[in-house]
Amino acid sequence: MIEPILGTQKSLLKRLNKPLASVKLAVFIIIAIAAITAVGTFVEAKYDAYAAKKLVYDTWFMYTIMALLVINLTAVMIDRWPWKKRHAAFVSAHIGIIILLAGAFLTMNYGLDGTMRVGIGESNNLVQTPETDLVVYTSFDGDRYSKTLEQEVDFFKNPPTEKKPFIIPSYEGEIRVVDYQKYVLPSRKVVPAEGGKAGAGLRFQLQNANVNVIEWLVQRKPQALATHNFGPAQIHLGAAPEKSRGQNEIFLTPEKDGLRYIVFQKDTDKPLKKGFVKEGDVFDPGFKMSLNFRVLRYLPAALEDWDLQPAERPTPLTTSAIKIIFDGKEHWVLLNDMVKLFTNNAVYLLTYGNRRTDIGFNLKLKNFSVTRYQGTMRAMAYKSIVEVPGLGDQEISMNEPLKYKGLTIYQASFQEENGQPVASIFSVNHDPGRFLKYLGSLIMSLGIVLLMWFKHLDFKLARKSQTNGK
Amino acid sequence: MKKFLLLAVSVLFSVSALAKSGDALKYLPVQDGGRIKPYDSFAREMLEIVYGKTKYEGREATEIVLTWILSPQAWHDKKIFEVRNHQVLEALKLPKDQRWFSGEELFGNEKFTLLRQELQAKREAQEKLNPYFQALQRLENQFVVFQEVAAGRMLKVMPPKEGEAWIAVADLEGPAQEKFMEMTKAFINNIGAMAQGQNTEATAAELDKAVAAFEDVARANNPALYDHDTKVKAEVHYNSFHPFRWAYVFYFLAFITLLLVWTLSKESLMKAAWVFLVAGFALHSYGFGLRMYIMERPPVSNMYETVVWVAWGTVLFAAILEIIYKFRLILVAGTLVAAFGLVIADFAPAVLDPSLQPLEPVLRSNYWLTIHVMTITISYAAFFLAFGLGDIGLIYYLRGEEKHHDKIKAIVTGIYRAMQIGVAFLAPGIILGGVWADYSWGRFWGWDPKETWALIALLGYLAVLHARYAGMLKHFGMVVTAVITFSLVIMAWYGVNFVLGAGLHSYGFGAGGVEYVSAFVVAHLLFVVYVGVIRAGRKSPSVKA
Repeated sequence: MIEPILGTQKSLLKRLNKPLASVKLAVFIIIAIAAITAVGTFVEAKYDAYAAKKLVYDTWFMYTIMALLVINLTAVMIDRWPWKKRHAAFVSAHIGIIILLAGAFLTMNYGLDGTMRVGIGESNNLVQTPETDLVVYTSFDGDRYSKTLEQEVDFFKNPPTEKKPFIIPSYEGEIRVVDYQKYVLPSRKVVPAEGGKAGAGLRFQLQNANVNVIEWLVQRKPQALATHNFGPAQIHLGAAPEKSRGQNEIFLTPEKDGLRYIVFQKDTDKPLKKGFVKEGDVFDPGFKMSLNFRVLRYLPAALEDWDLQPAERPTPLTTSAIKIIFDGKEHWVLLNDMVKLFTNNAVYLLTYGNRRTDIGFNLKLKNFSVTRYQGTMRAMAYKSIVEVPGLGDQEISMNEPLKYKGLTIYQASFQEENGQPVASIFSVNHDPGRFLKYLGSLIMSLGIVLLMWFKHLDFKLARKSQTNGK
Repeated sequence: MKKFLLLAVSVLFSVSALAKSGDALKYLPVQDGGRIKPYDSFAREMLEIVYGKTKYEGREATEIVLTWILSPQAWHDKKIFEVRNHQVLEALKLPKDQRWFSGEELFGNEKFTLLRQELQAKREAQEKLNPYFQALQRLENQFVVFQEVAAGRMLKVMPPKEGEAWIAVADLEGPAQEKFMEMTKAFINNIGAMAQGQNTEATAAELDKAVAAFEDVARANNPALYDHDTKVKAEVHYNSFHPFRWAYVFYFLAFITLLLVWTLSKESLMKAAWVFLVAGFALHSYGFGLRMYIMERPPVSNMYETVVWVAWGTVLFAAILEIIYKFRLILVAGTLVAAFGLVIADFAPAVLDPSLQPLEPVLRSNYWLTIHVMTITISYAAFFLAFGLGDIGLIYYLRGEEKHHDKIKAIVTGIYRAMQIGVAFLAPGIILGGVWADYSWGRFWGWDPKETWALIALLGYLAVLHARYAGMLKHFGMVVTAVITFSLVIMAWYGVNFVLGAGLHSYGFGAGGVEYVSAFVVAHLLFVVYVGVIRAGRKSPSVKA
């Protein structure tokens, strides 16, 4: 093969470029990518997609090997310059891959990929994404809160420990995050607290031949009303109104060593029953159906806390949690939950959770329907009717997304309770790299198909030059 | 020749479509699993679930399942429940060398209730089920299916006046119930006559008449919902004809003939080989067409269907390469591999479920789905062919490298071409999968294990092709990698569903057979190592010299 005569600079560039353009390097890179991603799939099988992303796909070594791939692809194209007709296939396959990766890079850095849950009849404008944030709100009067900190944290990759805590400064002292659990099974518990800041807690039982309900009611702060809705009646912990509100209701007002109760009925203004109960006492509210109301536990000052059981791997019921220490006290905060911290002068509200991004408009779910395969509960198809300001009613169904304001809203799944759908789950997405990805794919596929025809030729030439070289 | 084949196929079709008397029961439309199917399919599937086979002691499923309803107590002590998991048998304190057990042994056992609670606890914790719990789940399913069928709640035979859910045998009323009773009486008379070895002509005709009478009543209830005559006929024909079984018989015949051509150099037999091949391929395509007609969708939605589809693609590619290169060996590998695939599909129904099932929502009415699955799996066919060629190549290396140099060269060309075809389908296939994911979920690439493993397989073959290009792989290297790299395809195709068991593609997931597939892969790796060692041993003296 006769090389065109090049300037010395150009040939120097070519010589420097040579090792980067090596096909052996390409083989190494290809095998390395295959090996790394294979490990990723095993991590996903053992844990979940999030763990695989954090431990394998979204790591410096993955990015390094991808960068190497781009360098290698570019170098080999420089090496073959000037291109001949027979190079068309390999050049387009390689350029296609580079464009595809550029598209992926754009998506990764500037795209949005989150989920949105909308209950039937409700609306939502917040998309939840996998990033986690710590947010602290501070209040000096207990009513008005202002955001005093918002910070992205990645505890999965960099878990805080007792020795290396994550420190959040506050007006008095500091909040220290000292532990992170990837997978815990939470169950709620109520613990006694100091009087003053905390509300009361009541564990009660409602019982007759058909019913047996045992529940905790905890006031968020003193005087606040905590409510349990038990179908035919409502049970409130807090101050009672003067008159009936036209509902079957039981009000239990905390006092120092017991609870003053008052029962209202739907049809009459007058209280049905009044009285005072202590821990262990039982009374019949006096509704038409006879019931026993038993006070199992009464705490004049109570706090809700979590009982956490660590799990080895994630299930749909596990979540992650952080342990914080403030003012010498420990608290566990679950993902997407909050905790209130009191001092003598201020109240801090700390939330730990997935980032929620405002998409700038409200999506209202007007209707949701599922069609099922005949005679079964197997879903065949489902669709949501949503109302979008400025667009009116729109239908979103499987494989038929809604495109609006640069966002694409897909029907992802739905939530069911007792065989009835209650909420629709959308996947909301903004992908600036889409065009490049499609373009790259097209060019690469063309190249690969062309390669079938040209490879043969290139092969012979390569082998010839190899033997010449030796 | 083609005309002859068409004729042969249509004769086969019409012969098996001519129902024997006594067969009308098979055609009875039944609602089950979200679609209308013939009672024949229903009975086969139920017996398969409970007993693991579609026949019981040589008697048809249609017969067995109806007797469950008519006299469940007669089945009480019959060993009809298949339990294969040793851990489950241990937990039930049952002998491990036995495979079938009676309902009394299994469910009368007080341990069974405990195991069910254990399973329920596991389910409530929403943890992934390991093979032991999967086996328990199967046992529970067998129990429930038998109970429900026996109680007449599972067999739904009459369309409702309103709504979609058909009426089960247990809920039939009035004339429908009457006609159903008459039908069962005729059925009992017929099997009674059969058991006594009498002439069943009259009783069978009587049964057919009773079935027709019941169908009339059922149709009258809601004629619009009772309109599945041709599909039901096609499905019964599909069930009884086994087109894929015939296809592999013909492929095997083609393979044997090709072996003769090849070893004895009898060129005259080549025509016969082609006839067998085309006959097998026609039957294969015909079976495919039937499945498509019955389900109204391309049949590539589960493992069974993709195995059948890949076997089809292998034959197609082998035939094309054969026509271009005339190497013979390519056809030998193609027919062998295709027959192998179809035999596996036929003999492992517990792993590769051959029943016709409706699709998950995300898979429905989707153009991209079909395209990407078909493109990806057809590339597996090309790699499967390369694998078959690699195996033959290894045998040649064992028999002497120098002696068979020409054959090896031909094999390597075949392997190289097959790999190229595979890559040319797999790369666009993966991209089409991305397009589909983007279209359905708004995510072009999500590191889902199924798509990731398809990519890993692609990278594997790309590495081989690049290594060949760089001169890192010679002939032996190509033969070896053709065999080894196919392990990646097996992982992508089978392993992700049955070993990893995670990810978005969960609609294709099942369990079982892991030990056999692993043995298959390991045996091939060992074979490669063995040939490599032998070859190195032969070479080293000459190097020293």
